[in-house]
Amino acid sequence: MSNEFSATRRHFFRHCSLGLAGMYMGSLAAQENPLAAKKPPLPAKAKSVIYLHMAGSPSQLELFDYKPELQKYDGKDCPQHLLEGKRFAFIKGVPRMMGTPYKFAKHGGSGAYVSELLPKFSKIVDDVTIIRSMTTDQFNHAPAQLMLHTGNPRFGYASMGAWATYGLGTENQDLPGFVVLVSGGNNPDGGKSLWGSGFLPSVYQGVQCRTQGDPVLFLSDPEGMSRNMRRKTLDAIKDLNELQQKQYGDPETQARIAQYELAYRMQISVPKVMDISKESDATHTLYGTEPGKVSFANNCLLARRLVENGVRFVQLFHWGWDHHGSSRREDIRYALPPQAKVTDQAIAALVTDLKQRGLLDQTLIVWGGEFGRTPMRENRGGSYGEFIGRDHHPYGFTMWLAGGGVKAGLNYGATDEIGYYAVENKVGVRDLQATILNQIGLDPYTLHYPFNGLNARLIGPTDEGKVIKDILV
Amino acid sequence: MRPAIILISFAAALQAQAPVEFQRDIRPILNKKCMACHGADERGRMANFRLDTHDGATGLSGGYKGIVPGNSAASRVIARITDDKRPMPPSGPRLTPTEVSLIRRWIDAGAPYTSHWAFEKPAVKGTPEGNPIDYYVKARLDKAGLAFSPEADRHTLARRVALDLTGVPPSKELLNAFLADTSERAYENLVDKLLSQPQYGERWAKMWLDLARYADTQGYEKDNNRTIWPYRDWVIKAFNDNMPFDRFTIEQIAGDLVPNPTESQLIATGFHRNTMTNTEGGTDDEEFRDTAIKDRVAVSGQVWMGLTAGCAQCHTHKYDPISHKEFYQLYAFLNQTEDNDQPSDAPVLKLANASTLVMKELAGEKRRKTRIHDRGNFLNPTDEVQPDVPTAFHPLPAGAPRNRLGFAQWLVAKDNPLTARVTVNRFWARMFGRGIVETEEDFGTQGATPSHPELLDWLAVEFMRTDWNVKNLLKTIAMSRTYRQSSNVTPALLEKDPDNRLLARGARFRLDAEVVRDQALASAGMLSSKMYGKPVMPWQPDGIWLVVYNGDRWITSPGEDRYRRSLYTYMRRTSPYPSMSNYDAPTGEVCTVRRIRTNTPLQALTALNDPVFFEAAQKLALRTIGDAARSDRERADQLFRNVLVRPPSKDELQRIVKLHRETRDELKRNAAASQRLLHYDQTLYVEDREVTLAGDARKSPAEWQYTTDDPGADWLSASFDTSNWKRGKGMFGFLTAKDQQKEIITPWETDYIWMRHDFEMPAQAMENFRIFAKNTSGFEVFLNGVPAVSSVQDRGSYYEYRVAPQAIQSLKPGRNTIAVKATRTYGMGKNQSIDVSFVAARPPGYTPQTRDLADRAAWVAVANAILNLDEAVTRR
Repeated sequence: MSNEFSATRRHFFRHCSLGLAGMYMGSLAAQENPLAAKKPPLPAKAKSVIYLHMAGSPSQLELFDYKPELQKYDGKDCPQHLLEGKRFAFIKGVPRMMGTPYKFAKHGGSGAYVSELLPKFSKIVDDVTIIRSMTTDQFNHAPAQLMLHTGNPRFGYASMGAWATYGLGTENQDLPGFVVLVSGGNNPDGGKSLWGSGFLPSVYQGVQCRTQGDPVLFLSDPEGMSRNMRRKTLDAIKDLNELQQKQYGDPETQARIAQYELAYRMQISVPKVMDISKESDATHTLYGTEPGKVSFANNCLLARRLVENGVRFVQLFHWGWDHHGSSRREDIRYALPPQAKVTDQAIAALVTDLKQRGLLDQTLIVWGGEFGRTPMRENRGGSYGEFIGRDHHPYGFTMWLAGGGVKAGLNYGATDEIGYYAVENKVGVRDLQATILNQIGLDPYTLHYPFNGLNARLIGPTDEGKVIKDILV
Repeated sequence: MRPAIILISFAAALQAQAPVEFQRDIRPILNKKCMACHGADERGRMANFRLDTHDGATGLSGGYKGIVPGNSAASRVIARITDDKRPMPPSGPRLTPTEVSLIRRWIDAGAPYTSHWAFEKPAVKGTPEGNPIDYYVKARLDKAGLAFSPEADRHTLARRVALDLTGVPPSKELLNAFLADTSERAYENLVDKLLSQPQYGERWAKMWLDLARYADTQGYEKDNNRTIWPYRDWVIKAFNDNMPFDRFTIEQIAGDLVPNPTESQLIATGFHRNTMTNTEGGTDDEEFRDTAIKDRVAVSGQVWMGLTAGCAQCHTHKYDPISHKEFYQLYAFLNQTEDNDQPSDAPVLKLANASTLVMKELAGEKRRKTRIHDRGNFLNPTDEVQPDVPTAFHPLPAGAPRNRLGFAQWLVAKDNPLTARVTVNRFWARMFGRGIVETEEDFGTQGATPSHPELLDWLAVEFMRTDWNVKNLLKTIAMSRTYRQSSNVTPALLEKDPDNRLLARGARFRLDAEVVRDQALASAGMLSSKMYGKPVMPWQPDGIWLVVYNGDRWITSPGEDRYRRSLYTYMRRTSPYPSMSNYDAPTGEVCTVRRIRTNTPLQALTALNDPVFFEAAQKLALRTIGDAARSDRERADQLFRNVLVRPPSKDELQRIVKLHRETRDELKRNAAASQRLLHYDQTLYVEDREVTLAGDARKSPAEWQYTTDDPGADWLSASFDTSNWKRGKGMFGFLTAKDQQKEIITPWETDYIWMRHDFEMPAQAMENFRIFAKNTSGFEVFLNGVPAVSSVQDRGSYYEYRVAPQAIQSLKPGRNTIAVKATRTYGMGKNQSIDVSFVAARPPGYTPQTRDLADRAAWVAVANAILNLDEAVTRR
């Protein structure tokens, strides 16, 4: 067999037996439709993923990582050895250590310490695994978010949801396989590349759904074009395409006809799944949702509806956690509590709701920021003002996971006594990526795509990323 | 099925007789299953055994001896790949029996290593007669028992060659001249005219800008505006002037280093200034400078030589002859530029009407040393290296300086085996939808081998012989019989060559994102022919630009700038223009050599419903309706021709008229819908109907009554007495920076401010109410005492807020009140500011009800359908 016909990207879709990536695209259906559901190569614990990204990075020290020792050092200068060779986004010179103004208590059977800012989450600690020993190697928002979601701190790589749909396709062809929901008033710092397909074909990129305006861009027919008229125009498009196919004989015309029919079905199915107004009062009360608004709570409820309807990967971004203390709206006393409050209710509701519906086992939930925050108080420009906050901190932070084959009620890993370094059971972002892929039945080591002369993978070129077996059922 | 199986086994039997060829048969197996551990990369190498060279594999260069040439039975390699207990490779898929047998036969034949085809200089083989393209293609067709398809009909040909060469359909004049031209030269005349049109440069510039990773912003978190469009204009002009490709290369890589560089040559160096800069807090400028230089090395290798050199930044390339050290020797050529990662984007060149980013060489003592970065990490520098080129390739040309200029001269040296091949292949791929080497981005040993190697070499040699003449190359392609064939598919062709690799028929593929939009505008007669200048903002949905810490807004351009060719659309890296990314256009974050075409329902939704496309449908319909005297069939015929550049068949015409009747009958029952369709653009461009109810500092600021003393809970009521309040205009506040302080018209330095302004509402029903505010303070806005907007976020520029529906309901004709309460966010002496405006829009001006209203409006729906036909988005 000549190499001339070797596997190039285009061919992965059409001649699946060729090429290494073809192993994930074995079925006949997959040759026709790159998003057709595929059998996972490994036993899958979860069918879907809901990833709740808290853009800006919440302070673990105010929410999850209880450090009584740090309180003792409050106001004292940071020891020199913690500053040597370190770079910070804004801290200059020698900052002071800072304890948290919030109270912590043990909760549930797992005895997890959680702060008073998360009263509702405190009640579901026995459903989740809290990892208090996360680390990353990036300390700025855009590179750290890119690192987390695409496995590379620079632009141009494929996002986790794109990898998931590339590897597994999606269950419901009338909805996008990878949906993104954004709240908090801003897109995350890394922009749309965080849900881009990078070097993967763009069919795998995340589709942003919105709760105001068109739920998907250009989904609604223009004003004056009724549904009936839209159907009539589509019928004419179909008939004319068929006439042309008869004349020219190209089978790709059939793909175009199918594309337009799918678009029509999406026009019906997307607004339906995005309409939360028919949810029960009890559900609205549980989540704190208000139909028609752009809110994190609405997005959490939508996430449930989307996975219920067979969406493979739901990615939420909620902006507004960058509490540096340079102003009132970045102060951990004034701005953090309201931010914690709007999310606390919704995340607890999401876990509870999925559990009640028997969906938690097959849905992996991940919550966290792109890094953590310093145990030191930020001294922007080298001095302190009237507000307090913390700088970016990659050496130790907290994330939590629930459902999808992850242990319920586990406290995993720890930072040192002042919350500076992760010291016990360290978990890097590559480990997290490996674990997420593993849970949905993809092998993080073999899932790859040829790019720039390498077999590019989500977990990067080395095998440092390991599935975190300790937290799995 | 049965005959096919016989054919396959027959082919396999044939292959068993054929001699084994290293590059074709063995190299791909080694690359796939062995080289990761036994390749050129000394760090990743296991068991001191390398398979990438003859001397390495046979132990002559000192390592393990795995292959005994001529004796497969004695070769350890064979023992291990067939060993079930200790197999090689130790993990992943084993070698198939066929592969094992190929390796065995290759070793028995003496294990000859031949070099990779693309690293040998191209040479013309055979004596081509006629158009050499057809000669080589026909030779291959003959072998496969296939023949050329007949030439495409004139309409199809005119549309095809116009879309390929200029990115827009042929103008009516060009088309009619071609159809009327009965001479032998008719087609050649058309090709010549197209090559001389200014749109030619715009079309090929877009291709080049994908490679240059061009965009109008800096990238990363803030993704601020960057002015580098003069470089984009330089590329357009260079193509239109048919600048020889070698000069085109040298000016972009090192225009600043040529003797007495002109302004234009300096602008050209913007090519490598398109790398991104990060201005997030605490970023290490050196880190991002290093990232940029590495990107420049990788992109240079990729764009000119089709090499995936980027791999070698961390370790020696596993498959191609670029060592880790050699990567940094290339890096050393590009490491002497003055630019750093910093917000100012320096150095820039000041021009008459703008400034643009350029390259500048570091002087004297500022010159940098280059060291190898261990594992690619700039924090771990090791040995120092000097600028040099990889030893596997031709040397630097005699007399070439060891700097960027020398590097550029090396790229376009006639000894370079790759640059000409990669370049002609790229142009070929844009004309045929696929390259002769399909992996346009990789000509290394991992890439695909050419479908027509002799043709590729002939094109490359001819390209250099004609002094890198791009228009000549494109004309040669366009004039070939191969190119002019009909793209119609027959079942026989489909079975023999489903992918059309052998070119027994014309190419057929979906249009690029820009062409899909530009063609829609052109068919509606809307496309502006204005060239060059600042990027423009055609209509874009609300809420696309929500970038952290950046208040830049998408403000729809006025007039014809709404309808410019897509390459002039503002490109923001983190928020690409939606219809472009839906149709697979890249974002400018990285160099894109080849766009991978996909087929998603979002594309259908875009062409059906994106207001830009629907406006094109509206205008196409209005254009079609034209003179009232036309019949429905005439109109349908005209509309169809405008889009597809050919007359419709009888069946097609009938189906279009049927759709018109169906939609007209429905619209007869809905006059409002008819009005909306016929006046779609008026609904869309709200700004054209905008009325300012309370202005901000940008134009005609309103005079507010204000107080900084708490007026009590009642201050919002209509009857509240404000006679003792002061009067002032926006912006209110205090700003620390001197240059910003001048924005403040009315000082405000206290904790709170309460403001009221009365305005008149016209009697006409208004719509699209919006509040704009620029603020570094929290604020609330009330309309007639009803809460309208509340925000605590900083906005460095005027930001648009949605107005609460209840507040809009409170508005009535006559006197109304807008009130603002602002709260200082930062500490005393820090920035605090507030400026608010309130605008609304008049309703669209509909035409009076006429008898043929529904009849006219129905053409909009018809035009929408025609613009969405498969043929409309396809080049065939």
